[in-house]
Amino acid sequence: MSALVRMRIAGFVRGGRALPPLIAVLVELGILYGGGASPAAVAYGYSAAALFPVLAWLTKLLLDTEPDVQRRLARLSVGPAREATAGVLAALVLSLLVCVAAMAAPWLFHGIDTRTALGSGIALGVLAHLLAVPPAIALGALASRAVTRSVRLGVTVLVVAAVLVVVLGLTGSFAPWLVPPVMATARALNDPAAPPAATLALLVFWAAAWCTVAFAGYGWLRRARS
Amino acid sequence: MRFEQVWFRYARRAGWTLREVTATVEQGATIVVLGRNGAGKSTLLQLAAGVLRPGRGAVRDRPAVVGWVPERFPADQPFTAADYLHRMASVRGAAPGAVDRWVERLLLTEHTGTRLADLSKGTAQKVGLAQALLVPPGLLVLDEPWEGLDSVARTLIPDIVAEVTSAGGSVLVSDHRGEITALPGAIHWSIAEGTLHTSAPPPSAAATPVEEEDEVVVEVAVRRSEADRAVVALRAAGHRVLGVRE
Repeated sequence: MSALVRMRIAGFVRGGRALPPLIAVLVELGILYGGGASPAAVAYGYSAAALFPVLAWLTKLLLDTEPDVQRRLARLSVGPAREATAGVLAALVLSLLVCVAAMAAPWLFHGIDTRTALGSGIALGVLAHLLAVPPAIALGALASRAVTRSVRLGVTVLVVAAVLVVVLGLTGSFAPWLVPPVMATARALNDPAAPPAATLALLVFWAAAWCTVAFAGYGWLRRARS
Repeated sequence: MRFEQVWFRYARRAGWTLREVTATVEQGATIVVLGRNGAGKSTLLQLAAGVLRPGRGAVRDRPAVVGWVPERFPADQPFTAADYLHRMASVRGAAPGAVDRWVERLLLTEHTGTRLADLSKGTAQKVGLAQALLVPPGLLVLDEPWEGLDSVARTLIPDIVAEVTSAGGSVLVSDHRGEITALPGAIHWSIAEGTLHTSAPPPSAAATPVEEEDEVVVEVAVRRSEADRAVVALRAAGHRVLGVRE
């Protein structure tokens, strides 16, 4: 399966389709850190929320790079479950690389206020990014051509879900649990005081539950969609 | 391998492409699927390979290793032919040396450094063929394998089919141009209006093979420009061409 993960990453990077999301990440980082220093937890909380739609888009682009027939050849070679998993793992590898770059970037622009609690701020930042990556990959996978079969439906799923994550994630939302806790995490980290352990546990549980449902849905949809 | 009451349609509201297909593929059998364009040959082959799932019914006892040569090779990938085959070999867990063996056998040596998108249709088809054979298949599915191939490569296909079947594998071939004469002893299936008709092999083709004589290997050097013609001529004269090298 690792050979298939490598093959997909290579196809995505060499084909040049990785460039648009990479530019989007750079623009986002410029906006986030161009305006002065802020505490690590706050900066990283916003960074994770801003990266969510880009990582979902990156996942969709990665999964859509391979021609349909090649995806079916891969499926015959390694089996349906491993073929689907290999795509998710390829997206995970690239997403984690983006997150590492996004967490390193503010140190180049002096975007982190070093007078505040640095250690806990960075730890919370890592957590925020780790909570954003799996739901983003799940969304990108659900919007991929293998599932949606048409370009228009795929883009619609991606855009509508990305907007709903923000809208339903606002304070006072009527159904916050419908979307992953991307906005809730950013809000929790925005507080000057570190969030209590119970809040963090709730966020982790919420993200895990959402991802379980989303990935199960992806696996179920991909059973008949080669 | 068995098709049990297989029905298939491409979308829920679409008409059935295949209706109530029941058939058995014996071990070591060669089956040629005939039919007009759009009759459902490719669909049946993809159901056999396991690329498509039946809407109703099931395909049972499919061999573990399936080699599928799609009708059109997916050339829109940023790899060279050699890079692609090496990556597919590691994805498929092929034995070391499998890529070199098939590159040589299918006369792909001079194209190994060419990007897939720049390959001619026939050469891309050969890469598709090589990819399917990297691991010896228990079921080989060839979707219009003669399409776009030059005369030398055409003569390779019956040899490859014979090798797979003699190793106990089954072969399914679709064909709409009557190249089937190249596959003696093959069982013919035909598809018309979504229904599959199976028939036994014609008695003449099922005749006992000619007694094998003792063979020797003769190495021959020919001018590069005449290599194709020489291979065809030697095969036409009834000799087995074992390989071509630089």
